[in-house]
Amino acid sequence: MRRRGATVPVTKATASEPHLPSPTQAPTRPRSGRRHRPCFVSMATGGAGPAPNITRCGKHAARGTAPRSPRSGLSPEGRWSSPGHVQICESPQSPSRRTRPPSRWACFAFGGSGLPRPRRPDRQRRAWPRALAPLREPPLDQAAAALPRSPRLRPAPSGRLSGRAKPRLPEGLPRPQPGDPKGAVAGGGSAPGRAEAWREVLPGQRAGKMAAPMELFCWSGGWGLPSVDLDSLAVLTYARFTGAPLKVHKITNPWRSPSGTLPALRTSHGEVISVPHKIITHLRKEKYNADYDLSARQGADTLAFMSLLEEKLLPVLIHTFWVDTKNYVEVTRKWYAEAMPFPLNFFLPGRMQRQYMERLQLLCGEHRPENEEELEKELYQEARECLTLLSQRLGSQKFFFGDAPASLDAFVFSYLALLLQAKLPSGKLQAHLRGLHNLCAYCTHILSLYFPWDGAGVPPPRQTPAGPETEEEPYRRRNQILSVLAGLAAMVGYALLSGIVSIQRATPARAPGTRALGMAEEDEEE
Amino acid sequence: MSLVAEAFVSQIAAAEPWPENATLYQQLKGEQILLSDNAASLAVQAFLQMCNLPIKVVCRANAEYMSPSGKVPFIHVGNQVVSELGPIVQFVKAKGHSLSDGLDEVQKAEMKAYMELVNNMLLTAELYLQWCDEATVGEITHARYGSPYPWPLNHILAYQKQWEVRRKMKAIGWGKKTLDQVLEDVDQCCQALSQRLGTQPYFFNKQPTELDALVFGHLYTILTTQLTSDELSEKVKNYSNLLAFCRRIEQHYFEDRGKGCLPQHGLPRGAMSAPRI
Repeated sequence: MRRRGATVPVTKATASEPHLPSPTQAPTRPRSGRRHRPCFVSMATGGAGPAPNITRCGKHAARGTAPRSPRSGLSPEGRWSSPGHVQICESPQSPSRRTRPPSRWACFAFGGSGLPRPRRPDRQRRAWPRALAPLREPPLDQAAAALPRSPRLRPAPSGRLSGRAKPRLPEGLPRPQPGDPKGAVAGGGSAPGRAEAWREVLPGQRAGKMAAPMELFCWSGGWGLPSVDLDSLAVLTYARFTGAPLKVHKITNPWRSPSGTLPALRTSHGEVISVPHKIITHLRKEKYNADYDLSARQGADTLAFMSLLEEKLLPVLIHTFWVDTKNYVEVTRKWYAEAMPFPLNFFLPGRMQRQYMERLQLLCGEHRPENEEELEKELYQEARECLTLLSQRLGSQKFFFGDAPASLDAFVFSYLALLLQAKLPSGKLQAHLRGLHNLCAYCTHILSLYFPWDGAGVPPPRQTPAGPETEEEPYRRRNQILSVLAGLAAMVGYALLSGIVSIQRATPARAPGTRALGMAEEDEEE
Repeated sequence: MSLVAEAFVSQIAAAEPWPENATLYQQLKGEQILLSDNAASLAVQAFLQMCNLPIKVVCRANAEYMSPSGKVPFIHVGNQVVSELGPIVQFVKAKGHSLSDGLDEVQKAEMKAYMELVNNMLLTAELYLQWCDEATVGEITHARYGSPYPWPLNHILAYQKQWEVRRKMKAIGWGKKTLDQVLEDVDQCCQALSQRLGTQPYFFNKQPTELDALVFGHLYTILTTQLTSDELSEKVKNYSNLLAFCRRIEQHYFEDRGKGCLPQHGLPRGAMSAPRI
């Protein structure tokens, strides 16, 4: 995977001075409620309190300094990182990209177009000419030397955000005082090297740097969703939010994924990551960070709310889909058994169920030895509370942190979408969720915005109860007729071959004789 | 508690005022109690102090088994026994004392979320350190956990508990983590808390809430407990506003009231070492 050698520190300074982004200006960028989409710029926010010191690296161009500039589309690096998947929508060198917001979206690897991301001021556009000037060295070096590098540029400590689906602060989230000097030092020290690499990368799609694109293996879609599995859905959504150029393999056979489980990400170095949080960490490391624009407080909130989701909603989701008998038999197992190839469909769903049940047991069963009913009621009550809390927190905003989605939105969406979309026979939580209108609107909004073609598949699946039966009708009839005919043919053929019945093409006069002859032969044979 | 039982208990609870002889049970402080249990107990004590409710701390070796849910601490109030901070908060609320009434909906959501964060990360990290880190397990935990019991019960119980905790860690994905990763998680959690706290005296500005009690319980315990290595407390010490926060609560709610609940003054290092046998 290409490493961005150096992200262009696009700060507010670029607005005023194309060459010298000064650290002092960066922090004063007003932090409005809107967030930048992942951009390729490093927000060098020096020591200024609230502004996060995050590099946003991503598909968008380096941002400009001041108030949010509209994302100008994929960053050069983003584009060039995976030649197979990124279409360069605008020529990087054109400075006048401000007038073409829609084309940004054409650049998504998934071909999504017209996604109405909020427009931002032309911060990055302004930065682009500077960044992509023929000789990029001066701004880079100056920038690199001048600005404290955001911690994003530091190679993330491996395994830092590992573990179960625990909320993790995004890599690039603002680090407080301890982080900044480190970032600065790291940035300053390795800036020349990064600039070198960046320069090498930018001028064209150096195939050497652009190794294989990242591949994501995940469960395929169903029930109107791009994926039926919670983790896969979360990772997919995050990838969509950030526009990471992933090659998505939607498969139904977990044994075909490189790690044996789904979701799994194969990075461009061939490494395979299978824990969802680690996948997202990796994407962040690759500069596809949906959280670059969050303030410190919002980053902390992300962590807290992800904890809340995991503690309260996850057990209930597991229970709803895998433990509740009716749901399991009619929805989950049915889908998985139909989707998986032979012979996995016989034993894998059952095995998955056992794993989930055990997980649920360990999550909440250890201190509640009461009977299942009580446990269930309690779980559902907590989940309802959690949903209400989420609804209150979301309020009337479009996303949890303003106008642009963050990683928290990816996770919340995956939980809520599964609850909302799957047609569960016993959906107690579904009913409660449907009552929370802002959450429903939130889900449909994200679905229609980021997964339009998958969402378009919603109506047909909704008709599945009637559909398959009518479709099967002609086949069933035909199969019945065919089987009867085959049986008849077999019997007649056996009769003829064994001589029980023989067909003589003799003259009618000799018919009785031949018949007698036939019977005589039969007697002889017997 | 089931919903019906809970409603019933709330009714009963609401009927009586807080008695004078309410007691809180935990394990033996000097020899038996472990890091995570100590933190939980301290959190409850802090919460009750903040609510101005008198409580007496009683140490029993079998506190864990006495507790209705198997977790310490639990309080014995009137004729009811309630364990763990969450239910205790609700119980106290039913009696008419609440710290979070002044918060609006969004703040309440945030408070719950942050409490979950602390439980999710700090508590799990403490459990990991106690039961999955070989050095700590061998030197401290086994000896302490089984100390009230004769041989061979002490070993059996300790191994049984360790097995349970390890199973849980595996189920939640922490089984494969190394100590460094766990410390990183603690660092992240502390960072999130520090950022949320900012320069305010308490998490929700002027008045402490149960979140403050919980955070205090955990951080104070981490800071004042001496383990095999200092890494855990070092992570917390990086954040000066958290240190100031702990100090503030300690001064305000423990020293001022004259209750000698806290082991030491001024956050010195307490010793959680193997009991002298």
